[in-house]
Amino acid sequence: MMFAGHQLTKLSPVDIVILVLYFGLVVFIGFYAKGKANTSEDFFLAGREMTAWIAGLSFVSANLGSLELMGWAGSAYQYGILAAHWYWIGAIPAMLFLGIVMMPFYYISKTHSVPGYLHLRFGNGARALSAVSFALMTILMSGVNMYAMAVVMQTVLGWNITFSIWVGAGTVALYVMLGGLRSAIINEVLQFVLIWAGAAMIPILGLIEAGGWSKLKAQIAVNVGSSDYTHMWTTLGHFSSNPMGVHWTGIVFGLGFVISFGYWTTDFLVVQRVLSANNLRAAKMAPVIGAAFKMAVPFIVIVPGLLALAVLKNADGSVMHLVASNIAKSTPGMHSYDEVLPLMLIRYCGPGLLGLGITALVAGFMSGMAGNVSAFSTVWTYDIYGAFINKKASDSHYVAMGRWSTVIGMLVSIMTAYLVMNANSIMDYVQALFSFFIAPLFGTVILGMMWKRATHAGGFWGLLAGTASSIGMFIWVQTDGSALRYIAMSADAKPMAENLYRALWSWIICVVVTVLVSLVTKPVPTAELANLVYGVTPIPDDGATSIWQKPLFWACVVITVFFILNLIFF
Amino acid sequence: MTKHGEISIWFFCGILMLAYGVVLIATGLTELHNPPPTVLAELHPTLWWGVLLTAFGGFYTIRFRPGKA
Repeated sequence: MMFAGHQLTKLSPVDIVILVLYFGLVVFIGFYAKGKANTSEDFFLAGREMTAWIAGLSFVSANLGSLELMGWAGSAYQYGILAAHWYWIGAIPAMLFLGIVMMPFYYISKTHSVPGYLHLRFGNGARALSAVSFALMTILMSGVNMYAMAVVMQTVLGWNITFSIWVGAGTVALYVMLGGLRSAIINEVLQFVLIWAGAAMIPILGLIEAGGWSKLKAQIAVNVGSSDYTHMWTTLGHFSSNPMGVHWTGIVFGLGFVISFGYWTTDFLVVQRVLSANNLRAAKMAPVIGAAFKMAVPFIVIVPGLLALAVLKNADGSVMHLVASNIAKSTPGMHSYDEVLPLMLIRYCGPGLLGLGITALVAGFMSGMAGNVSAFSTVWTYDIYGAFINKKASDSHYVAMGRWSTVIGMLVSIMTAYLVMNANSIMDYVQALFSFFIAPLFGTVILGMMWKRATHAGGFWGLLAGTASSIGMFIWVQTDGSALRYIAMSADAKPMAENLYRALWSWIICVVVTVLVSLVTKPVPTAELANLVYGVTPIPDDGATSIWQKPLFWACVVITVFFILNLIFF
Repeated sequence: MTKHGEISIWFFCGILMLAYGVVLIATGLTELHNPPPTVLAELHPTLWWGVLLTAFGGFYTIRFRPGKA
C-alpha cells in the first residue's frame, strides 16, 4: 500500500479531541487489565473467561485491520464487487467450519496455541517449523502495519512518519505488555465498534448521493463502460471476462477452500481469540457470531470503493480516475487506489466525523499491531522459549517472558517498519510470506484432526513440502512471469490468480506428502490420539438446552444468509 | 468478562461512544448555520450521527456500568 506524496486534509481541534479521547481510554485499559494478568493463563489466554460475543467480535476484529480495510476498498474500486469474495466465500464457510467442526478439538485438547496443537498431534518437528515461521511472520506483519499507519497519517494529515511509528508502537507495547491478551481483546472489541462508528457514514451518505443501489450500478456502468463491476459470479466463467483476471475455480477452491480455511482455522492470530472463550459452547458460538458480523463488513469496505467509481469527481466536474500507486507517486494531482477510503471520508465528513474516521483507522492499525504482537509473545513463550530453551521455568517467569517478548517484538517491528521505509518492495514480500505457510498448515492440521493414520513424520514432511513448494512457485513466478500460465493453468490469468492457485497446489502437495509418508511410517497408538482426532475423541456436550442456544442452528442461519447475499449480487 | 467488581468491555465501548456522541452533537449544532464544505452537509450528518452515538453509548454505559449486578 503506497500513497502519493501530498497531504489530503488536516484535523480541526474537535478531531484532535476525539483522537486524544481514544488514546486516553486505550492506555487506561492497559493499566486496568494489568491487575488481572497475573498467571500465564491470564496473560496469554485472558484467563479463558471471555463470553461468546466478546471472543467472536475480537475474532473478527483481529482481521479487520486498517491495512485490509484500505487495501480492499482500493481493490473494490479496481476490480469491482469481486473484492467482496474475500469477505464472503473467502471467510464465512471457513469461520463456521472452525466453530462447528474444529473448535471442539482445539478447545478440549487445552492447547495454548496452534503450534501447541501440532506438538500434541505431530510432535516437536511440526511444532518448531510452525512456531518459528509464525513468530517471524507476525512480527514482520506488525512492522508492516506500523509503517502503513505512518504513511497514511503522513499522506492524509501530513504527520511525521517517525512520530507516528513511535507513538503507535509505544501505545500498543504499553497496553499489550501490561494486560496481555485481555487488554488486546478489549481494544479489539472497542476497535470493532469504532470502525463502524467511523466508517458507516461513508456508504450511508454515498448511497444517498448516488440515489440508491440501482442508480449506483447504472452510474458505474456508464463511468467504466461495463456492467462487470457489480456482479460477483456471472463474470467468472473465464479468466479474461472479469476485471480481476480470475476463474471461478480459483475463487471457490483456491480462495474459498484453501486460503480461507487455512487462514481462519489455523492462523493463531485469530484462533487465539476463540481459545479465550469461557466454555465449549462459547468457543463454538464465537466464530459463528464473528461470521455474522464479517458478512456485514463489505458495507463499509466494498461499497465505498464502488461508490468512488460513481461519485468521485475532479475539481472541474469530470470523473476522477484513481491509478496504481507508482503512477500516483510520479504524477502530481493523481490519487492511488488505496486512497479511496480517505478520499471518500473527506468527501462526506466535516470536523468531528473526520476525526472519528481517522481515529477508526488509527485504532485499526494499532489493533493490527497488537494482534500480531500478542500472538507472537504467546507462540514465542510457549512454543519456542518454553518448548526448546527453558522447559521448566515457573509460571511467573513465563508471564515475565511474555511481557519482555512483547517489548522486544515491538522493537523488531519498529526496525521492520524502517526497513520497509527504505525498501518498499519488502512490504509485498512480507505479505506474500504469510501465504507460504497458511495453505500447507491447513493441510497438516485438517489431516491431523480428521485422519488418525496421519503420523508424526507425515505431518512434518507434508508441512515442509507444502511450504517449500509454495516458496518455490512464488520465486518461479517472480523470476519468470510467464510461469503464471502453468500455475493458474491459463495464459489469461492475472497476478491475483497466482495467489489462489499457488495456495491450492501447495495444499495438495502437503496433503499428498503427508498421506504418502504416513502410510509408510509407524502409526501413532490410538490411545495417544484421544482429544486430538475425530473418531477417537468423544465430543463433550456443549450444554445447549434449546435450539436457540445451539451453535449449529445459528451456523445454518448464517450460511443461509450467505447464500442469499451471493444470489442477490450474483 | 462481567464478573463482580470488573468493568465490562461493553462499558468501555459505551462510554467512548457516549463521549463521541456528545462531542459530535456539540459540533453539529455549531455547524447548523455554518456547514462544512462537504458533500450533503445540508443533511447535518454530524449532528444526527452524534445523536445516534449518544443513544447507543448512553444505553451501554448505563446497562453495563461498574457495580451493576
